[in-house]
Amino acid sequence: MILNQEIRKALQTVGGGGSVVYLTTASKEGIPNIVGERFVSVFRNEYIFIAEMFAQKTRVNIHENPHGVITMVHPLRGRTWTFTGPITILQEGYPDDYVWEGLKASDALDEWGNWALKEPPSEVPPDIRPPVLVQRGIIALKVDSITSFDPDSVGKSL
Amino acid sequence: MAILSPRMKNWLEGLGGHIATANKQGIPLVVVTTSAEIINDENVRFPLSTQQVDYIKDNIDENPIVAIGIGGIGSIRAAYQFKGIANLESNQLSVNITEIYCTKPGPEAGLRLDILPLESVIKFEETRWKDNGPPK
Repeated sequence: MILNQEIRKALQTVGGGGSVVYLTTASKEGIPNIVGERFVSVFRNEYIFIAEMFAQKTRVNIHENPHGVITMVHPLRGRTWTFTGPITILQEGYPDDYVWEGLKASDALDEWGNWALKEPPSEVPPDIRPPVLVQRGIIALKVDSITSFDPDSVGKSL
Repeated sequence: MAILSPRMKNWLEGLGGHIATANKQGIPLVVVTTSAEIINDENVRFPLSTQQVDYIKDNIDENPIVAIGIGGIGSIRAAYQFKGIANLESNQLSVNITEIYCTKPGPEAGLRLDILPLESVIKFEETRWKDNGPPK
């Protein structure tokens, strides 16, 4: 699914606190896990990237049950978007030609493997900024569907 | 049993949460509320629309375990994750909180708070955040 310009822009907000989303995964037994994520971007109009910064439970869940849900937090203003799709973690060590869901790992890592360098978190207030931005890889979600989380139209395809 | 700190209660009550459910096969569904009612130290109630009830009812019937992150600016300013057992009562989702985690990025991410004495949790919060709830 191709993400339109409005979505791409909202997920790549620079300044004003940047974009914030919640990432939901679940264990294979169905125990959900939800974590707020600040380092978010869109890649090639169909993947949402999140910096993988040692989110242990998320990592375990993704490996055993690769279904992800991303819900929009900021900037919201009517953007009640839920993105759903297969999810993985890309990190150094994969073969150069490793491809996941049409995405070449080396292409992703070349561009977003060093988030701190590409998009320094200088605007994030010190009390909520990670002490050191240590990135292990990229969490990549291929968007299969976009639905609303508006209470009156939750689940409605957008 | 997990005890909510006053700060956690204030943030939950003020901004509600993103509530993650999953079926037994591990397929997640999320509903979002903008408020919550604190019942007591370990129970919270979220108002849901009829559509939200319909959306998650099968999941809750099959698997009542939920995970909750605080909505809006709370996603960053109040970096907690609550896990609990949910029960749908008409248009409200009641959650008995069983686990509380810190999700502040960095070495404290994933720190389990509900196993600490409440005084220690409050001290932990006071040394990391200046607020005691969302901005008025």
